[in-house]
Amino acid sequence: MPSPATTVQREGHSAVVHLRGDLVVTSARGLYATLRGLARRRDLTKLVLDFSAAGRLDSSGAAVLALLGRQLQRQRKSLELTGLTAQHRAVMELSPERAAEPAEAVAVAGTLEQLGEHVLELGTGVRALAKLVADTVRQLVAVVLRRSRIPAGAVRHHLAVMGVDAIFIVALLSFLTGMTMAFQGAVQLQRFGAGVYVADMIGMSMVRELVPLMTAVIITGRTGAAIAAELGTMQVRSEIDALATMGIDPIRFLIVPRMLAITVIGPALTLIGIFIGIVGGMVVAAAVLDMPAVTFWARIVERVTLLDFAHGVGKSLVFAWIIGFAGSYLGLRANGDASSVGNATTRTVVVSVFFIVLVDAVFATIATLLRQR
Amino acid sequence: MTSARALSGDIILECRDLSVGYDKPVLEHIDLTIARGEIVALLGGSGCGKSTLLRTIIGLLPPLAGEVIVFGQSMYALAPDERNRLLRRTGTAFQQDALFGSMTLEDNVALPLRELTQLPVAVIREMTRMRLALVGLPGLEHRMPGAISGGQRKRAALARASILDPELVFCDEPSAGLDPVVAAGIDETLLTFRAALGATLVIVTHELDSIRKLADRAVMFGHGAIRAVGTVDELARDPDPEIFGFFHRVADRSAATTSAASAS
Repeated sequence: MPSPATTVQREGHSAVVHLRGDLVVTSARGLYATLRGLARRRDLTKLVLDFSAAGRLDSSGAAVLALLGRQLQRQRKSLELTGLTAQHRAVMELSPERAAEPAEAVAVAGTLEQLGEHVLELGTGVRALAKLVADTVRQLVAVVLRRSRIPAGAVRHHLAVMGVDAIFIVALLSFLTGMTMAFQGAVQLQRFGAGVYVADMIGMSMVRELVPLMTAVIITGRTGAAIAAELGTMQVRSEIDALATMGIDPIRFLIVPRMLAITVIGPALTLIGIFIGIVGGMVVAAAVLDMPAVTFWARIVERVTLLDFAHGVGKSLVFAWIIGFAGSYLGLRANGDASSVGNATTRTVVVSVFFIVLVDAVFATIATLLRQR
Repeated sequence: MTSARALSGDIILECRDLSVGYDKPVLEHIDLTIARGEIVALLGGSGCGKSTLLRTIIGLLPPLAGEVIVFGQSMYALAPDERNRLLRRTGTAFQQDALFGSMTLEDNVALPLRELTQLPVAVIREMTRMRLALVGLPGLEHRMPGAISGGQRKRAALARASILDPELVFCDEPSAGLDPVVAAGIDETLLTFRAALGATLVIVTHELDSIRKLADRAVMFGHGAIRAVGTVDELARDPDPEIFGFFHRVADRSAATTSAASAS
């Protein structure tokens, strides 16, 4: 890093620094180090900077001088500038007196304060979410009672994007999961001569647990994230404010169609996944255990009850609402900048998956308790 | 009418037979030179192509034909690294401030210093503070762009564009939509930059007050080409109804013609 040449001349308690060369960005680092070192010396009470041989001064040089001036002032030492040219003075004009005022301090909260803030934020968040849910239900009822209406074709559009476009991925993953479960189960059950029960295992696990959970995770990644990103971008671009100022309720216009669509596609995709998953298991059972498809199907019909289906599909409905409300709530909360949209999307996925697993555990616990009665 | 060549001094920016546009040319055969230290205003009605020309000059939109020569080097003939080095000697304040919404004003303004220089942290902080104070935003270092007004954001954008003391500053509508006091403040700041740093300024604007206060020369665009170049007084006296109308705020062409006739 080039430093402007400096010659220091001592005169009692003062030092005269003769500056040579340009005082610009490339030399400011060296200049700052030299001058700060001199200012720290206890045997000096005055620093004189001689600019008569100095070259061009730029903003970085002016900043170094301002910093030096303040440092010397704090130490009750004086600074004198001599030999300034018109260019030097003009650049120093870029450093108005008010720049010396310190910026408003940013208060750093302590751990306890941060904890308190988080709790308050959580409370505010829960209240806002409850309001969103209540508003959505209210608007939904108004739409159902035909007191107000949603944009024409909106639900069909969302059904296509959220549902029809997701059928292939849900079907493929369910088929592969069914196959994997059958492979794993067959090996274990055959050891006990109970290979025939692989159909029971596939049926129960697919209907009650695996497919509803897996489909919900797929919907979270595809649909929940998309809802948050879409609404977040609209919020950042003031499109939602524009709706409100036009007297159009944003909840009715944006949230209700999405919630209606996700209410349908959650259970629908789950049912498709359950069927395809069972077919996957059936293929492996026929290939590995020589179990005829008819036998496999007969065992499923005998073992899996309507209540099991209600459990799986009911769960998928709750999962769909979790995803829809998480995406809508976090998307609408985006504010100001591009990163807030990214945050909303990420948080939607994390929050949705967390609550899906939590609700799944609640469902399992309730089902077990009811069965024990 | 004065030619599109700079009046005197060494040439800092030159457009040679330049055609700009996206699919088809918006402006064609532009020949323009700007000398060091000049303040040049690019004028014209909405959609005349002046902002497109600016995008080409600052390296964002390759020209359809011709050359942009900045500091004696042909911008689009340079390798990307060399073009970046060239662009670091310029600063651009965009019409929509283009501040990073996730950063404080201090971080926004300090970004070029942190990325492109080896200056100590204390010097960077001091330079940022000085520049924010200069544009009239003292003490707002820790604010986010979303928490300040549009006028303040424009001023912060100007602070960021000028933090590396660029030799050539481009401003797209620096004072559009601001109240007269703030707009005058921005004009003063631009004049201070020129006085202190010898900066050359190229300003795209509609604001007549700013043009009169700042510009040494003005270039008027229209109908896909340069219509006129000259000092602001020369252009204001131009008998061409469109140019006269622009400077005297007369929308109706026939009224402009009448006024121009009576003025001459």
